Amino acid sequence: MKRALGLMLIVAAVVAIGAAVGSATAAQSHGQGTSLTGAGATFPYPLISKWIPAVGLAYGINVNYSPIGSGGGIAAITARTVDFGASDAPLSPDQLTACKGCVVVPWALSAISVPYNLPGLRCVLRFTPSVLAGIYLGEITNWKDPKIAAQNGSCGLPDLKITPVHRSDNSGSSYAFTDYLSNVSPTWQSKYGTGVNAQWPVGIGAKGSSGVAGVVTKTVGALTYVDVAYSLKNNLRISWIQNKAGKFASPGLRSIQAAASVLPKKITDFTQLKLVDPPANAGALAYPISTFTYVIAPTSSSKSADLRKFIYWAVTQGQSFGRPLLFQPLPLQVQAFAFREIKKIQG
Amino acid sequence: MSATDITDPFDLTSRSNNLVRRRRVERLVSVLAILSAVAAVVLLALVLGTVLFKGLSQLDLAFFTKPAALYGVKGGIADALVGSLLIVLMAMLMAVPVAILVAIYVAEYAGPKAASAFRVMLDVLNGVPAIIVGIFIYGLLVVGHGQSAVYASISLAILMVPMVARATQEMLELVPRHLREASLALGVPRWRTVASIVLPTAIGGILTGVVIAVARVAGETAPLLFTSSITQNQISFNIHNALPTLPLRIFTLSESPSPDDQAAAWAAAFVLIAFVLVMNILAKVFAGRKRRSLEGR
Amino acid sequence: MSTVVPDPEAPTAIERRGIRLGDALFKGVALVAAVGVAAVLGLLTYKVFALAWPAIQREGLSFLWTQAWNPNTNVYGALTFIYGTVVTSVIALLIATPLSIAIALFLTEIASKRVAAPIATMVELLAAIPSVVLGLWGILVFGPWVANHLEPFLTQWFGFLPIFSGDPSQAGLLPAALVLTIMIIPITSAICRELFSRVPRDLSDGSLALGSTRWEAIRRVAIPYVAPGISAAVLLGLGRAFGEAIAVNQVIGNGNTISRSLFPPADTLGSRIASSYVGASSVIEAQSLLYLGAILLVISLITNVSAQMIVNRFQKARRLSTG
Repeated sequence: MKRALGLMLIVAAVVAIGAAVGSATAAQSHGQGTSLTGAGATFPYPLISKWIPAVGLAYGINVNYSPIGSGGGIAAITARTVDFGASDAPLSPDQLTACKGCVVVPWALSAISVPYNLPGLRCVLRFTPSVLAGIYLGEITNWKDPKIAAQNGSCGLPDLKITPVHRSDNSGSSYAFTDYLSNVSPTWQSKYGTGVNAQWPVGIGAKGSSGVAGVVTKTVGALTYVDVAYSLKNNLRISWIQNKAGKFASPGLRSIQAAASVLPKKITDFTQLKLVDPPANAGALAYPISTFTYVIAPTSSSKSADLRKFIYWAVTQGQSFGRPLLFQPLPLQVQAFAFREIKKIQG
Repeated sequence: MSATDITDPFDLTSRSNNLVRRRRVERLVSVLAILSAVAAVVLLALVLGTVLFKGLSQLDLAFFTKPAALYGVKGGIADALVGSLLIVLMAMLMAVPVAILVAIYVAEYAGPKAASAFRVMLDVLNGVPAIIVGIFIYGLLVVGHGQSAVYASISLAILMVPMVARATQEMLELVPRHLREASLALGVPRWRTVASIVLPTAIGGILTGVVIAVARVAGETAPLLFTSSITQNQISFNIHNALPTLPLRIFTLSESPSPDDQAAAWAAAFVLIAFVLVMNILAKVFAGRKRRSLEGR
Repeated sequence: MSTVVPDPEAPTAIERRGIRLGDALFKGVALVAAVGVAAVLGLLTYKVFALAWPAIQREGLSFLWTQAWNPNTNVYGALTFIYGTVVTSVIALLIATPLSIAIALFLTEIASKRVAAPIATMVELLAAIPSVVLGLWGILVFGPWVANHLEPFLTQWFGFLPIFSGDPSQAGLLPAALVLTIMIIPITSAICRELFSRVPRDLSDGSLALGSTRWEAIRRVAIPYVAPGISAAVLLGLGRAFGEAIAVNQVIGNGNTISRSLFPPADTLGSRIASSYVGASSVIEAQSLLYLGAILLVISLITNVSAQMIVNRFQKARRLSTG
């Protein structure tokens, strides 16, 4: 009896000592470098993971990132529980006000793919905008529907229920996808609108990019919208989507670049960076669900110098890490806009 | 007398249809009861067995010593283990003294009306869902100050107090009255009686309650979502920041499609369940001692 | 002649005051702890409602029967989640209660002491499984089994019932209800076992002496005797089921619709809060989620307090009848 109590006391003492020693040495173990903590979108997480060791080597800055979703990132930076937030969804005017002096800097560019799980299919699925909208509206419920067969007739579509998968957490990928659906479907626009979440009428919800990719890998007949890097990593088949030029495009560096080619020559505000459903003059290659992703940083904080270094590095040298993950380097005018915004971080 | 005559209803040896039917019903109910117990055991075996088989293969030293990895790389749970240990330990240090004091008041000092009121209050607190406790601490402490392991511990402590207080109170009430009366008759002050005589006698049952409560909160996820979910995924002892925890790690990994992540989830679940099982065995050991001490050594 | 010999061991006046101080201090500290815990409960209830108040004022009571959750048009309602919470919990109870009674009967009436002890331990261990681990098992093992085997089976044999209509899905009300069943069984069976073991032997012996079978003794004597206790156990299980957010969140699929079938994705109060609160994109959404939390707190409190009242009345009646 006494021995058991004594043992527990010893364990408690050991852990307490460990805690004290750990807190003291935690600062030293990272040398003289500082650390930046960020949280937010799962979309850029593959790229940020590549940045973290490189920035550590370049500047000695130890970056930590928690992929909790764009909504969580905006909330975290607004509450200043992190040093920077990340979101694929641009901040609304209300959110910008609530953030009290934040800059929104585009730091990566990629695309939302629409992967699916239909093992026996003989070809790659092609979607027109109205079919994609019809699926997520719950109007098209079976893969054998004639509207799908119209572009995929000889593929061997099965008589199987369609399971559309959406993000259950507040997500920038949902923002880009609902923005796309609102553009191509007036019904979607009026009923459900654009946002980091929506009142999805059908389908299963899962948390995070890995969550939705997970459901699709486990469920035959499922499809979802997710950053193209996640589709590639999980060996999911990616569909081709028809753009305004009438051609079917798949997410790739050139198709993302084509979509971004219609941006104005000078960017003055991040609200000009909308890329979904580009007009026909973007070309035959343009992929219709491309999106920028943003870092949100306070203009004044104790970490301003490190933030400036990190974000500047990300929008310049960091871009070269993106190609294998299908992150297209920022167009020049967007990079110039990013530089101007970074200068606002004073501290 | 023919067999169709009405036989003596109290005669259990008669072969009337009614009795045969009644015996059949009896047997059916027995079978159903046995099947139900078997079903519960099978369910337990299914869940624990799956965790065991799928988790064991993933466990190696690296798993225990490496922190979580970045995207695409296999990682371990060392950071989550440290975080969970610290948070649960702090919660225990906060909850146990308070709970024992509450139980002492209810069992030793309160009048019958006050005692029953406090008992109801404890049971009501016990029934508050963990996610509501998370919201409470979030609104009270996290908003404006940020997440922190200390806040996580406070929320877990709120969950622990009713469990430990109830167990302690029941144990105290089981201590025979004559022990108290003898002590008081010998001139020992009331507070010394409680502290040096009643409490030690009840200590076995109290420890049982503590250990079971620790096992319960070690696996609680909902309050952690609000108080310790945005973390640096490295081993850290800094309790003023949010720390990674084992339940939240399992929660995140469980939804991932990558087989590596899923294997890590099973292994982490195995570690958590192993901890809970050890705690439950400890509880049984303490319960054994309680019985012996209350039976008069 | 009688003289009073002063007792050298008796405490002096100063010592007596010290003892009284010690007693008062000890009792005071214990009282502070007890009142403090009660205050925490009060503060919790107050804070949850205070946080939800802006939404309660804005939406009013019609929030309770509005079926919507649209962050983009800022139209919110709790009906979908109240429906999901009630349906999953009630189904879990409908399955768990007879199972728990049967298990309790097995442990008290049928099994020998040698068999009963390990089986009782194993049923308790079911309660020890953390809900996130049960949810993990639910996502990776149970959900697919439900979608690939259970739901097609139910559709084939019982598909005429609306609750088993529609396409199978690995996330929905049915797997969530079944996971909740697994969580409730240990609680309700432990209480039932406690109740059955307290039935006075002479009552059931009397019935047996009069020629009843063992089952009839249980049905006619023990069950009516413990019926109030069982209803309290049911209410406690219900309260537990209402409050479970994490395991349910992992297997219920985050749906937004109310369907007659148990197969499609749905959501409950706790699960929706768990998914959406930390990342809520607008103040209105956050407050509406807190309104959901307030509703959850109210129904938990009601079921718990009702269970308490039944237990109290039960014990009072018992004390009066045997006292």
